[in-house]
Amino acid sequence: MAEPTPVQIFRIEEKRKQYRSGSFFLKIGILALFVLVPFVFPSYKTVDLAMQIIMFATLVASFDILLGYTGILSFGHGMFFGIGAYCVAFLIGKYGMPSYLNLALGFVTAALTASALALLISFLSLRVKAIFFAMITLAIAELAIVLATGLSHFTGGEDGISLSMPGIFAVSFSIGDFMGLEITGSVLTYYFIFLSCLGLFLLMLRFTHSPLGRVLQAIRDNVQRAEALGYKTFIFQIISITFGCVVAAIIGGLYAMWVGYVNPASSLEVMAIMLNVLLMVIIGGMGTLYGGIVGAAFLLITQTFLPDLQNLAKDFFPQATLLHNVLERWLLLFGILFILVVIFFPKGVIGSVQDYISRRKTILLGKE
Amino acid sequence: MSEAILKVEGTHTFIGQHHILQGISFDAKADAVTVLIGRNGAGKSTALKTVIGLLPSSEGRIMFKGNEIQKKKPYEIARMGIGFVPEDMGIFANLTVEENMRVAMLVEDEATAQRLERTLDIFSDLGKFWKAQAGILSGGQKQMLAIARAIVNDTSLLLIDEPSKGLAPILVDALIEAINQIKEYSVVVLVEQNFYMASSVGDYFYILDDGMVVHGGLMEDLVNDEELKSKYLGISKAAE
Repeated sequence: MAEPTPVQIFRIEEKRKQYRSGSFFLKIGILALFVLVPFVFPSYKTVDLAMQIIMFATLVASFDILLGYTGILSFGHGMFFGIGAYCVAFLIGKYGMPSYLNLALGFVTAALTASALALLISFLSLRVKAIFFAMITLAIAELAIVLATGLSHFTGGEDGISLSMPGIFAVSFSIGDFMGLEITGSVLTYYFIFLSCLGLFLLMLRFTHSPLGRVLQAIRDNVQRAEALGYKTFIFQIISITFGCVVAAIIGGLYAMWVGYVNPASSLEVMAIMLNVLLMVIIGGMGTLYGGIVGAAFLLITQTFLPDLQNLAKDFFPQATLLHNVLERWLLLFGILFILVVIFFPKGVIGSVQDYISRRKTILLGKE
Repeated sequence: MSEAILKVEGTHTFIGQHHILQGISFDAKADAVTVLIGRNGAGKSTALKTVIGLLPSSEGRIMFKGNEIQKKKPYEIARMGIGFVPEDMGIFANLTVEENMRVAMLVEDEATAQRLERTLDIFSDLGKFWKAQAGILSGGQKQMLAIARAIVNDTSLLLIDEPSKGLAPILVDALIEAINQIKEYSVVVLVEQNFYMASSVGDYFYILDDGMVVHGGLMEDLVNDEELKSKYLGISKAAE
């Protein structure tokens, strides 16, 4: 039998290590945590926080496909999220009725609308220069808010649209207790959204680890070089943008399912959503996908629990007025935490850890 | 005399307002290494970028295997079988060595797999650092990766821009050996300022000066022509 080549040796070694690495068990642990949240912490605040982390982690990952994997900055990602939310709201709320078919149609409409708009914007802007994509998405996103607010007879205006969920997702639905937890429509919606986001995340992982994903990263690193290797970079950029925007729209639809309400302020507040997404991707690390989980968890947990710290301080240290004053300004603490993360993890938490592991691996390889 | 696989005829190239190539003509013959030499700013790199289509030519004709390519896009030219290794190596720093190689493979078939193995035989360090991030390789390893990436496809013409730049002498020798192996199955056009390297691998030469070809011929003739070397390359016998 012929000697295995270096490439074959590496592949065998990779497979052997795949299910024994620390990162594999960490991923399983995180998944288990999200599965158990409704059972272990059944309060609405905690379940809602876990749901927001799941949805935003997936949204950040979809944004990372554009920015981290293709090097394209978009200010319209929040808009695609909003388009998804409105499509679902139209189909099961204002212009339809709560049924599984309408819910499915809502998601299909969201995906089709998002892909058509993403294609249109890409064709208009990318032929000139990638930076125009950022500018056009910003302009169109602002226009979307104006339209959603102005066309009130169509979109519900600033009052928005309230939704009722069909069948097992309805708030009133209950199938009784399981391990001490009442399995209501909200609990089932939580698991439906969790599984959908997990599916989308795995799809994005597959996308970025495919040959197509490698080409996208090559384009991000050096467009001219990728062209000289034989790739029509424009087409690859369009595929990436469309994919990322469709995922964002689907998450928007899932978000509408969870909050049961859609209005321009909550779903189309482009800059607010975009700012959060940008902060999350910076904290987690660009071009990692997993960075979205860290970024979303960091931002949402601190935003949720930092304001509570002042109450805790008042309970435990009633005389410490300076501490109360500092904790009252929790945004200041958040700012300091953010700066510390950026200083100690310049490539984001996951990006810096990956970088460190990669350097160590290279040094070890060099010593062999 | 062997047939020319690449013919550049009266080509002009502008970069912005600057008229860099002013009607250059040269060709690359089959089974040979052609070296473009000249001082800094002579237009050597621009010539290669024009051939691969990264810079548009405003006038003239570029023929590859009998087909005009001067109006084609870089990805079309690359798919015709021209590989390009830029001066900055152009490796994808955030990808691993493996990913750099895989992204370069336009087709993943048996022939490509064989070429990959052959490439790893020439550049054995790449196998060792297969899973390492390309951005943290040494300069010599990056250069080897850049060339390996260009020859993993069915490349019949390889354009290499100053591969010895910034490399230690021992690495230059390794590079000379590698290019001598590559020329067995691909025509090479090399831009080089290092005369030792140019004369070690080159069969033919063209001297470029101010965007024009001022001399061309057999490399062995240039090696013995002290006047030409001194006039255009600034090389004196004492310096050698």
